[in-house]
Parts: sequence; structure tokens; C-alpha cells
Amino acid sequence: MIMETTAFRLFLSFVVSAFFSGAVFAHGGVVQEDDLCVIKVNYLRAHFKIYQPRVSGHEQFCEDLPAASESVFVMEYQHDALKGMPIDFRIIRDVTGKGRFARMEDIEQIDDLGSATVFYQEAVIEPNVFTVLHEFSEEGEFIGIVSATQPDTSKVYAAVFPFEVGFTGVGYWPFFIVVLLLLQLQYLVMSGRLRRWTKGRWSRAASSLLFCALLIAPAAPVSAEDGELRVSYSTPAGPPEINRIHSWILHLESADGVPLENATIEVAGGMPEHDHGLPTQPRVTKELGNGDYRLDGMRFHMRGYWEITVTVVTAEGSSVVLIPLHL
Amino acid sequence: MRSLLLKLGVVVVVIVVIVIGWQNRSTEPPVWTDAEIDVLRSLSLASLPALPPDPSNAVADNAQAAAFGERLFFDPRLSANGGIACSTCHQPARHFTDGLPKGQAIGTSKRNTPSIVGSAYSPWLYWDGRRDSQWAQALSPLEDPNEHGSSRLQVVAVIAGDDAYRSAYRALFGEFGDISGDDPVALNNAFANVGKAIAAFERTLLPVASRFDDYVDAVADGNRQQRESLFSDDEVWGLRLFIGEANCTQCHNGPLFTNNEFHNTGVLSSPGELPDKGRVAGVQEALADPFNCLGDHSDDPARQCAELTFVRTGPELIGAVRTPSLRNVELTAPYMHKGQAATLAEALRHYNEAPDAMIGHNEAKPLELSTRELRQVEAFLKTLTAPSVPNAI
Ligand code: HEC
Ligand code: HEC
Repeated sequence: MIMETTAFRLFLSFVVSAFFSGAVFAHGGVVQEDDLCVIKVNYLRAHFKIYQPRVSGHEQFCEDLPAASESVFVMEYQHDALKGMPIDFRIIRDVTGKGRFARMEDIEQIDDLGSATVFYQEAVIEPNVFTVLHEFSEEGEFIGIVSATQPDTSKVYAAVFPFEVGFTGVGYWPFFIVVLLLLQLQYLVMSGRLRRWTKGRWSRAASSLLFCALLIAPAAPVSAEDGELRVSYSTPAGPPEINRIHSWILHLESADGVPLENATIEVAGGMPEHDHGLPTQPRVTKELGNGDYRLDGMRFHMRGYWEITVTVVTAEGSSVVLIPLHL
Repeated sequence: MRSLLLKLGVVVVVIVVIVIGWQNRSTEPPVWTDAEIDVLRSLSLASLPALPPDPSNAVADNAQAAAFGERLFFDPRLSANGGIACSTCHQPARHFTDGLPKGQAIGTSKRNTPSIVGSAYSPWLYWDGRRDSQWAQALSPLEDPNEHGSSRLQVVAVIAGDDAYRSAYRALFGEFGDISGDDPVALNNAFANVGKAIAAFERTLLPVASRFDDYVDAVADGNRQQRESLFSDDEVWGLRLFIGEANCTQCHNGPLFTNNEFHNTGVLSSPGELPDKGRVAGVQEALADPFNCLGDHSDDPARQCAELTFVRTGPELIGAVRTPSLRNVELTAPYMHKGQAATLAEALRHYNEAPDAMIGHNEAKPLELSTRELRQVEAFLKTLTAPSVPNAI
């Protein structure tokens, strides 16, 4: 439901670009790119979104917030460097008088940043996703300032994003609704949601056909190959069952049946239909001789179609073999 | 004018009647295919494998340890204020939950109190899996300032100071050693042993068969009459949706209706709190826990700790929590890791919409089920209620 804010932003950026030209956020800020709200902290980027879970549930906002309420700011890094950088987050009342056009220079000129500050999260290194929560006690214009410090050089990168809490301009709402409706319509057409509604039925039928085909197909193959390399496996503790950690014995041989020794093997896997990997990180723990290798830490957590990829590196080169598996 | 209104009224009434009739139309329940019967069997308690061994706990299957652990589980003297026991939150009468959004003792727990029935089957404990055995888990509430609020020093002192406990302890684990606090290794050892006794008790808490399990037996036996007397048409349709179109068995699978794995299902954050980071944080805690399977207090000389050794992390685990068991779910409201859903209907509405997750990526897809179908799934979930509590005390 990012639509409303998207529409609002699009409209705004249209108006803004009609009157002003040149970059508004020279030092980084929040921008709308396609359907994604992005914060740019200098060259570092993160997916940015704000929630007001108490009043708007799962609806995402990019900058402006409809109500003075509990607000959760989320940054999902698009640049790995941010994972290791201390990041701090400040929200101030807009005392610059610049509104939407406030920039870092304007912030630097504020004498008493402390008294303008309504929220401050000290710098923390957050390796996964950066989140802060602030409950706004009043509506008005605010500025968010995110700074990230490069640990090696101590260089500070900052992003500044002015925003409003409690939308104003209610007098124009009928106009907005028309714009919204048009955009929604365009979105439905463009995103294929309209088509998906009908298509979903077809793809479901297709996937159940595929499922049947897999059922009829011969029992799970225990061997697969990539040109010169043949990989087979056995499971000493009985056929693989879901939700039980167990081991495999991998057997590697060349196309003409010569066992492959001294190989470095990496194993990954997942369910392509569900878009997720194995729940564990299995590893080859022992070379048993005669082309056999012990693979520990295998576990499946769902029935269905799995694919295991075995990457084999030897002195001669590397190859990847895919083992399909139906549980 | 009057007659026009009348006609309109008639039309409206007819439409309403048709809609209501359609919503409540009776439809013959499906005939199960062999593949479906196979899935049903995999969900029945009859398929529950033997308890996985816990080599890190030498007394895991010792009956004396279980009896000792049972007393500790119900003993409020292990808490800072003498008023909190494990059973304050894990109440047997409520299938070892407490009916609250979040656990409540000296303070408020971080999350919702899960049932502990069948938790011996899980390689990971807690919503975020931050402990890797029942015994390591049992030590945490004792020292959590919001729960028992006690300390290992006090807990061990209570046991050493009670005649019955002291002799039970010695019979199982030998002498206490220096538990004055001067010798942290001895104290930690004794503390770990307390956890091992509690775990021995918890291992005996296994799910009791429900109407669903009887139904699967009847289906497998081809006993039509019994099948029909056990499940209403709505329950059958609900079950069919559960294993089919609604994809619930992607995660709620096996006889415990959980894969004990971590998934992000996009549940809204709890009031006043940041969205729960879930497994990405929990995995680091489990690896750092001094009482984990690889630590000094494990009883397994071989340190066979496959789950911990081959553990995986990654961005998919942001905001992911462990799939809860759905057995007795009717009686364990409120639902989700912070009690965000008050009723089953609310939980199902969430799945029907499957909104984008606040953090990470929601794995569940919108279901687009009708209200009728949602009611049927709910009706099925209620067949998982057991007639009694394990080890009713
Ligand atoms: C204040 C209430 C409270 C008390 C007291 C308490 N627990 Fe819990 N228990 C919880 C909550 C809440 C969770 C989930 C916390 C989480 O996942 O972060 C939990 C989780 C657990 C789990 C994990 C279950 C699973 O499937 O993941 C077990 C086992 C458990 N508790 C056992 C105990 C034992 C043993 C004691 C006594 C030593 C105890 N609890 C005391 C509230 C409590
Ligand atoms: C992608 C895995 C996944 C799928 C698919 C899934 N669930 Fe869940 N389920 C979970 C997880 C994880 C939780 C806990 C979520 C949380 O607390 O944030 C949960 C929680 C629940 C709860 C609350 C239980 C409690 O004790 O708190 C119910 C009820 C439930 N699921 C029913 C269903 C039904 C019915 C379906 C099918 C429509 C379904 N689930 C599909 C993973 C899944």
C-alpha cells in the first residue's frame, strides 16, 4: 500500500520540478525510485520505509506521515558497507524555515540542535536492518538526519530528509483522489495485478500438472551429472525425512566411472518454487576414499520439490551438478 | 412510488437470501486421494517418531530426574520474590501457556508464552531459537529479571538447602562442589544440572491425540461411517484447504504441526516496540550461549552438535520466528510471537492478506480465501484440541 505516498511523491516531485530545477538533495536524502523508497547516504543506499502500525497497519510511507502516532523507521541496506558502519538517527523540528528544501548546510547552521531534537538514536552498528521507533506527540514539519561513519576513515556521510507529520493541504483532497484513482488504475494495468487475478488460476493448474508429472516420474534420482562429472548420493540413515538432520554420502566419479579424489565440494540447496534455501548449512566433513565424501548437516523442513547443487572444484577445474529431489 | 420501493425491497431480500444460501451451501466433502491420505498420515500423532536423544544431557531420560525436575518446575522458591514458578506462565490447565499477549511475572517477558508440550522435538528453543536444548533454555527464565528474577547462586542454594532436593540432586549428579560462588565452574555446573533435571521433566510432556488423529485413523482404515461421525463437512473442507490451497503444511507440517524452522510471516510489530528481529539475532545468541551443545557443560564427550555446527544465517532470517505447533491452538490464544492476534479468526485474516513484512520478507503469499473458507480452516484447527493435558497434575 505504498501507493498513496507514491502518488503524493510523484505529484509533489512533478510540482517541484516544474518550478525548480537542479538536485534538491545534493548530500543525500530520501527519493522515490520506481516503486521503491530509497535513502541515499552519500553513495550508500538503503530501502527506506516508515510505518505507523497503530493507525495504518502494514501501510508503508516514504516520508510524510498521516498522523502524530507511533512511527517505525526502517532502513534495509542495499549497500553492504552500511552493515558495518555505526549509524545514528536524529529527528528535529524544522527550525530552518526551509521546509522541504532543507539541506545539510541548513542543519549545520542550527545553533542549538539539542533543543530542536525530538528523537535521537545514538550510533549503533546494526548488521541486518536498521530500525528506530518514535512516537510523535504533535503534528508539524520535521527533518530526519541519518549519519553513517566510515570506520576506517572516520568520514561521516549524512542524509537529510524533511517530512511532514499530519498531512496538510486537505482542501485539495478531491483532486488528490482523482489523481490517486488514475494512478491506481495505471498501477493495476502496469503491474499486471488485473491479469494476475485471472492468470493465478492457470498457473495453479499448471503447477499441479507439474506436480503430477513429478509424481509419475521415476523415484527420486540418486545420480546427476555435469558433462564429465557424475554425482550420486546415498543416505545411510534411511530415506530423507522432513525435519530430521541427517548425513549423506556423496559419490563423485568421472563419466567413465573413475572415482574423483581430493575434490573440494560445496553444497547448497533450496526450493525454487518457494524461493528459499536449506534451513541448515551442510558441509562435507570427511573424504572417505574411493570418490566418497561424507556430507553432514542436511535437513529439509518442507515436503515438495528441492534442488541440491553440488559444486565440485578439483585441480582440473570446477563443475556444478544439480540434484533434484522430491520429498 | 410505493410499489417501486416494494419491488426494490423484494429484489434486495432475494439477493440477500441467495448470498446467504450460497455462503452456507452444503457441499459434499472431498474424497481423499492416496497422495492426500499420505499427507494426512504424516500429520497424525501415530507418525510421531521416538523422542530424539539429547546426548548433551546425561539424565534426559532418567525417571528420577524427571520427578525432581517436575517439582522444580512448580517451585516458586526458585524466584527472587518467592512467588514465580515456571508454571506461573506455563500453566498445565492452559496447555502450558498463560492466556496473555506476553508472559507476566516480576516484569513482562519479551514475547508470548508458548506451550512447551513436544518442545523436546525441536532443535531450537524460543521464538528466535536462541537456545539449542531444553536444559540450556530452562536456565534463562531463572535469571531473567522479568521472569524468576533470581540468580544461579540463589537457585543452587535453594536446592542445597532443601533436604529432599539435596538428596535427589546428589543421587543424580553427585556432590555439589563449592557452590558459594567462589568457584564459578562448580556453580555453573550445579546450575546446568538444575536445567538438566527440568528438561528431563519437560521431555515427558508429549501431545495427546485429538479428534483429528482419530479421523486420520478412520480415513486410513477406510471406515466411512466413523469418518463421517468424527468430522463435519466444514472440518473436512478446512483440512483440505490446510494441506492444499492454503499451503499451511509448508511450515505447519509433521505430527506436531510445525517444522520447528524459522519463517517471516509479516506479523505487525507489537505496540510500543520495534519489529522483532527474530532469528537473525537469535542465531548469534545461541552460538554465544556458554550452555550450548558445544559448551563446557554438555555431557556429550563427542560433542555431536549437528544443528549448531551446521547452523545457517542470512537475510531470509530477518524477522523470522519459529513456527509454533498448532496442536491445541484453540486453547492457546492470544497468538503470534507477541500475542498480536487475539483470535484464530484474526490470525487467519492475517494469512489471507499476507501483507509485506515491516522488516525482511514475508514468505507467505496472500490466500484470497472466502470468509466461508476461512471459517472452515478455523473449524479444522479446532479439531486439534486434545481432550486432556499431558501429565495432568
Ligand atoms: C514470565 C513467564 C515465564 C516464566 C516464569 C517461564 N517462562 Fe518459559 N517462556 C515464557 C515466554 C514468554 C517464552 C518465549 C520467550 C521467547 O521466545 O523469547 C518462554 C519459552 C519457554 C520455552 C520454549 C518453548 C519453545 O517451544 O520454544 C520453554 C521450554 C520454557 N519457556 C520453559 C520454561 C521453564 C522450564 C521455566 C522455569 C524455569 C519457564 N519457562 C519460566 C514465559 C515464561
Ligand atoms: C511460511 C511458513 C508458514 C506458513 C505457510 C503458515 N504458517 Fe502459520 N505460522 C508460521 C509462523 C512462523 C508463525 C509464528 C508467526 C509469528 O509469531 O510472528 C505462525 C503462526 C500461526 C498461528 C498462531 C499460533 C500461535 O500459537 O501463536 C496460527 C493459528 C497459524 N500459524 C496457522 C496457520 C494456517 C492456518 C496456515 C495456512 C493458512 C499457516 N499458518 C501457514 C509459519 C507459517
